[in-house]
Amino acid sequence: MTPATPAADVGGRTATAGAAGSPAVAAAATGRATGTAAARSLPPAVRDLVAGCRELGAELRTLALAVDRAPEDHRLLRRCGALELLRVVGTPERFRPHPVPAWAREFTASCLGRVAANIELARGDAGVLNACAAPSLAGFTVDALGDERQQELFYGELARTGCWTFFGMTEPEHGSDATALRTRLDRDPAGGFLMHGTKRYVANAERGSVGVVFARVGPTPLSIRAVLLKRPAPGFTGSPLEMLGLRGARIGEMRFDAVPVPEEHVLGRHLPLSRRGLWGANRAFTVVRLQIAAQALGVAHAIHDQVRALRPGRPGHDLVTARLDAARQLLYDTAAEVDARPDDREPACVAKLHTTHLAVRTARWAERELPPSALAGHPLLEKWCRDVCAFEFMDGTTNILRLAVAPAPASHREGS
Amino acid sequence: MRETLAECERAGHRDGLAAGLGPALDGAGADAAPGSVAALPSAAVPPRASLVPHPLAAREGVSFVRRPARHRTAAPERLTALAARLAAVRLGLTRRLAERAVDHLSGRIGGGEPLIRRQLVLGTLADARVELEVARRTLRVAGTLPAAVAEVHDRLTELDWELAKLLGGSGYAGDGALRGVVVSRLVANCWVAREATGEAVP
Repeated sequence: MTPATPAADVGGRTATAGAAGSPAVAAAATGRATGTAAARSLPPAVRDLVAGCRELGAELRTLALAVDRAPEDHRLLRRCGALELLRVVGTPERFRPHPVPAWAREFTASCLGRVAANIELARGDAGVLNACAAPSLAGFTVDALGDERQQELFYGELARTGCWTFFGMTEPEHGSDATALRTRLDRDPAGGFLMHGTKRYVANAERGSVGVVFARVGPTPLSIRAVLLKRPAPGFTGSPLEMLGLRGARIGEMRFDAVPVPEEHVLGRHLPLSRRGLWGANRAFTVVRLQIAAQALGVAHAIHDQVRALRPGRPGHDLVTARLDAARQLLYDTAAEVDARPDDREPACVAKLHTTHLAVRTARWAERELPPSALAGHPLLEKWCRDVCAFEFMDGTTNILRLAVAPAPASHREGS
Repeated sequence: MRETLAECERAGHRDGLAAGLGPALDGAGADAAPGSVAALPSAAVPPRASLVPHPLAAREGVSFVRRPARHRTAAPERLTALAARLAAVRLGLTRRLAERAVDHLSGRIGGGEPLIRRQLVLGTLADARVELEVARRTLRVAGTLPAAVAEVHDRLTELDWELAKLLGGSGYAGDGALRGVVVSRLVANCWVAREATGEAVP
């Protein structure tokens, strides 16, 4: 595959996807991204990556409705060449089972590359993108906290089996408040630890074979640890939840009833105490937050593309385009900032706050702009209008992020 | 009209979307819909109707039915009255969602106190209460004005989302409150006849 494939070719392949996969829609989806000022500002390597991901996105879209209807059907996913390529592309180079095309290497080279790629992939379909058996958030955490043997264990399993991964942080009673998590690691008299607890809203909770789970060994925030878990394991069960959108992610619940965790599966043992748990993974969380923001923007683009194809020439399109382009620029600038200053978490919060909100607004605009029953009559559009809601609940809700970006109080001198 | 709206709101609040949809439609069938697809209570779908499959709607007891080829869309005045009754049903659903949010937030602790005591949360719930009162009055005094009724639907969609966000992931999963919200929005999309504004402002 080359990134220079003409848009018409991509549109032809997408035509099998149903109403929203019509050549007109696909052409609208593929024809504009490179023309924006934001896109022109990208380094050449990232521009090539964007073009390649646009092609992959078109292939993801052909599966969109089928995955939404039956996300438990893995046969479709296993046959998808784009998902297989994304799985390998998302793996660090030294662990890849085979080489990837030159244009794809930028994906793991920078946060900017990941963000730019995720916009285009989610513009194809975010539900299918999230069905990819990639290292994902667990991979970021293993990169940040794992020693050499732990990285080999995690990525070796992925390379051998092509399995799905999981990342267990959120709990039923505490949401995403990681410092309040209750899942615990008790010392096992026979050696290592035993894990007890429950995690909820975990992607691949049932089908994931290897991943990372956060738990505490004591009461303080510094006693939170990330551990590698593999399946099958005694006491480790999982089940999917019925989700409204982004159903390809197979989000579900995991339960741990005295699950044995060997000492050597505790991540960050080679790091100082302050870098072992949550704080050590903060850089990874920032990149993931931006990826989620990028996916929200990608879905907003997909919605706009379809409205434009169904109602060409309407006066509101230019303003929506301007909003989406501005959000794209915000994401690109933020990603570049994260590449330069990876410990600064606020810019990613700003970017996610805006793009998730914009994506929901774009869905509402589509609803008003189209004739009655347009949503029920265009299943892909209706699906995207559900999918955009999911990003709000991933990696920091609006209110949590608002608290993170609110300015600190100014210091006032008495009498001033 | 006022009593009918109140009854529709009660039905939505007490029994849910499908139960409220019956009185809101007041006998209107798929042929009355302004678009190519109508939303009906599943129990009222005629035999041999052409359905648009939608599993989430089915779980709410709602079906999407393709409008017959030969049909006569209901008169504009009748459609506006139907949309107003449907908005009243949605008002009931939104009230239910707000109550669920209060219940959820009262039991969740964050930073050592119930989340419902947080100012950001209280502000949203207070705004919701105001919006609900305004929406109810708008339907009473302007329920025959298409633009006013359409605006009530838009504001309810917005309000539902603000409330659903307070529920976190639990609203988006399983039988969570968002499912009813999503389906009620789709139902409104089938029955609210509006001229597209051509404007991008929300």
